[in-house]
Amino acid sequence: MSERRARLPDLPARRRLGLRERIAARTERWSRRRQGAERWPSAITRRRLYILPTRAGLGFAVLLLGMLLAGLNYANSVALLVAFVLGGFMLVAMNLSHRNLLGLVLESLTLPPAFAGDSARLSLRLRNPSNLPRHAVRARVGGHEATLDTLPPGESGVVGLDLAAPRRGRHPVPRISLSTEYPFGLFRAWTWVHVTETLLVYPAAHGDRPPPLTASDHDSGTQGLAGGNDEWAGLRPFRDGDSPRQVAWKAYARGAPLLVKEYTGRSARTLRFDYETLTGLDREQRLEQLARWIVDAEASGARYGLTLGTLRFPEQRGAAHRHRCLEALALHV
Amino acid sequence: MIAGQTASGRCAGRWPATPRLRCTQTGCGLGLAAIAVIILWRLFAALASLDLPHRLIRLGLGAALLFAVVAQFNAISGLAAGSALRAALGAGKLLETRDRRDHYIVLGVSLFLMLAATLDRQGLPRLLLYGAHLWLCCAALAVIGTPVVRLPARAAFGLAGRSLGYALPIMLLLFLFFPRVQGQIWSLPAGGAAVTGLGDEMSPGSISQLSESDEPAFRVTFDGDRPPSTALYWRGPVLHQFDGYTWRRELGRVYRSAELTYLGPAYRYRVTLEPHRQRWWFALDLPVAPARPGVFFTFDYQLVSADPVTQAVSYEMTSHIDYRSDDAASLLARRIDLQLPANRNRRTLDWARRERARLGSDAAFVQAVMDLFRDGGFTYSLTPPLLDLDSVDDFLFRTRTGFCGHYASAFATLMRAVGIPARVVTGYHGGEWNPIGQYLIVRQSDAHAWAEIWVDGRGWTRYDPTSVVAPDRLQRAALDRIAALAGGVDPLIAELDAWSRLVLSWDALNTWWKVRVLEFDLGSQFELLRDLGFQRPGLQQLGWLLAAGLALWLALVGLRFGRTPRPPRGDRLARSYRGLCRRLAAAGLPRATHEGPLAYAERVRRERPELAAVVVPLLQRYAQARFGPAGDHDDGRAFERAVRALRLPA
Repeated sequence: MSERRARLPDLPARRRLGLRERIAARTERWSRRRQGAERWPSAITRRRLYILPTRAGLGFAVLLLGMLLAGLNYANSVALLVAFVLGGFMLVAMNLSHRNLLGLVLESLTLPPAFAGDSARLSLRLRNPSNLPRHAVRARVGGHEATLDTLPPGESGVVGLDLAAPRRGRHPVPRISLSTEYPFGLFRAWTWVHVTETLLVYPAAHGDRPPPLTASDHDSGTQGLAGGNDEWAGLRPFRDGDSPRQVAWKAYARGAPLLVKEYTGRSARTLRFDYETLTGLDREQRLEQLARWIVDAEASGARYGLTLGTLRFPEQRGAAHRHRCLEALALHV
Repeated sequence: MIAGQTASGRCAGRWPATPRLRCTQTGCGLGLAAIAVIILWRLFAALASLDLPHRLIRLGLGAALLFAVVAQFNAISGLAAGSALRAALGAGKLLETRDRRDHYIVLGVSLFLMLAATLDRQGLPRLLLYGAHLWLCCAALAVIGTPVVRLPARAAFGLAGRSLGYALPIMLLLFLFFPRVQGQIWSLPAGGAAVTGLGDEMSPGSISQLSESDEPAFRVTFDGDRPPSTALYWRGPVLHQFDGYTWRRELGRVYRSAELTYLGPAYRYRVTLEPHRQRWWFALDLPVAPARPGVFFTFDYQLVSADPVTQAVSYEMTSHIDYRSDDAASLLARRIDLQLPANRNRRTLDWARRERARLGSDAAFVQAVMDLFRDGGFTYSLTPPLLDLDSVDDFLFRTRTGFCGHYASAFATLMRAVGIPARVVTGYHGGEWNPIGQYLIVRQSDAHAWAEIWVDGRGWTRYDPTSVVAPDRLQRAALDRIAALAGGVDPLIAELDAWSRLVLSWDALNTWWKVRVLEFDLGSQFELLRDLGFQRPGLQQLGWLLAAGLALWLALVGLRFGRTPRPPRGDRLARSYRGLCRRLAAAGLPRATHEGPLAYAERVRRERPELAAVVVPLLQRYAQARFGPAGDHDDGRAFERAVRALRLPA
């Protein structure tokens, strides 16, 4: 338990909280302490499933109380019967709402990095291992919400949530609530999901400076063929890291294995981006410009390296390389 | 046919009563029609996805409805006016229902209106209506409760119905054991006091048409013997004051009631009285003073309750049909019950005094009066001519046509004229026996009036002049034949035709409903506790039973709903495969979640070679059956048998 707690990211510090926020923060601390971080996959057990009446449920209860008082006062058996049957109905509704979440399995969470200013897509995968369908399961995180209409028995579904990603860096994901008001909207059952996954936000890819024209060749002795755009050289088998743009899709469609078209060119480029060369810009603008260049270079199929202070990434290509470079930019201090 | 017997020839009908002042018929009809039109329009608009009306139109409509209610009731509070207002505004709200909140408001209004309706009527037919309404409301709750899931109506009704079904035990439990309150904490202003049944005065001369009403006045179950039908006089208000035209109750003065000696058997019975919004209770003539708080036994042997009977009430009574008194009539009794207006009905007074002087004794005079009614050309009619202010003169010497009120009034006047104290008693006579429910129904059409005169040495003695005018009506009651009953199946039931049987069964069911359900109160709860074996029933025991029942229900519902739901059963093949994996897990080699059957088989071979010989072929067979070419699929039966036959080496 303590080990799990230690892995939790810190809550962002907030100031000048109103009563509602204070209560929310308190319950969040409480539920964090109580539940710990999520381990995937895990089922929603009774211990972590909370339930309270909704506003409509409270109104309904007040109405029932009125019926009860009227029935008692006028010794009116029919009014009492109505109040009692509706009271029982409320208890049933509570059980049904509770059951709608109970036993659902939280399978996995994916949260790919995003660029600052865009939104990040959080996908929560749920599985219904039971023999009854689940309805109207709503996921909510930081003011965004999405609903899974129906999850048939034995099947899995994904709830996608768009998270705002305003600033670069690595951000903790606020707790996710998974709730339902099904079937009567009188009760809301919910559970909290505290995740250790963080949201990585790259700097926004902005800037209009041209990329450095000359390839810096500090490390590039082995370079022979690169995916430039000039002269057709031939086909070779696909390797990890090849740009999809250069895959011979037509050949693949005809049934050939994945092949990559190779070109030779005088300008088969090798680029090196250096933070220090970007004079006249402040730090954030420089990072944004570097992000722009990296995105463009990757898209064009060029090889590129990055120098960021003491960090040096050799010239390479591919999604993993791109991610490493952008991550370095995101976390740069 | 018994049901038909009450309908004709009785000294019948309810006394003139002010109509129920709910609201004027046309006004209410129009209002309801307007509301129905709005509801239908809204339904149509929803189906045809029309736009809702403009805000000004809605405002105007709302104002019009409000105005209509105020104009109709002159009020916006009180049960009737308040309900009408809510109905009108609820209908108005329908015209602007867009979001969930609006729907909740309409639903709340609808439930509230149902509450108002339950306060008004509690009959069995209404119960069906209320049940249907609840079902509809809960289904609506299911539809608007989770707007993201477009629940089809069928599913919503199913869900609501099942949920209400699960709630029924709770309802029963709470109904039986939730402690009731005795007496009212507050009361609503009764909008327009409605009077049905007997009034507290009687002016026979003013009535030219008695309405026949088959509405039940009360029902009686006898505990043990039943009295003969000729003795079924149900005593109600006793009238003392007479102004020559109208008989009234004595309100100011009270005289000492004579000491009574009861003769003959005591009849014990339970009366279930329909609400009539008056304060009197009815009992078989002549009741023994009841030992019951909240009801008084007056000097003239009436039962008067402290509060008007606004809900069905049921009480146990004991009566003797025979009694005598050796007392002398008190002076005050003589003064009150001999009082006659000196300048009214002079012909009657003169005739009576002449006749009394001629006959020489009171007894002979009484007999002569009864003979006069029998042979003097009097006829019984429910539609008598109107009488002038000297009503008894007019009746005795001119019309000679009337119903019980006329005869009782004339008889009492004749007696008072010659110094015999006399009073008029109103109530009911007879009743219809319900052989299915084994009880007597007394209807409004059984209303009756008779006279009592003071006879020295006997006390107050009943004379019913109507019985000599229309003697047949007293002998027809079905109850006479009950005396001949000797256990077994009631032959009366066999005599009934299907329709009467249905009618009487329905009435019996209604009576059960009234006595056992509608009047279930704290006393009944304690009685129930006593039946359950509690020596000293009290609120505490109720609480314990309630808690225990609730816990039991929650446990059962928890078992049904709260259990972590079972995994899907899957097909036969999958079930057998899971069983195989479970057994291997028990043997110490669980299958990893990511492992397919062949990988698992490989691991079995590697880690537990001693099991491999029997297990691996099975796993391969499963893989073949599940994933192999279509021809190899079996339906799992063979595999199931193989798994069952598997014996793992220890």
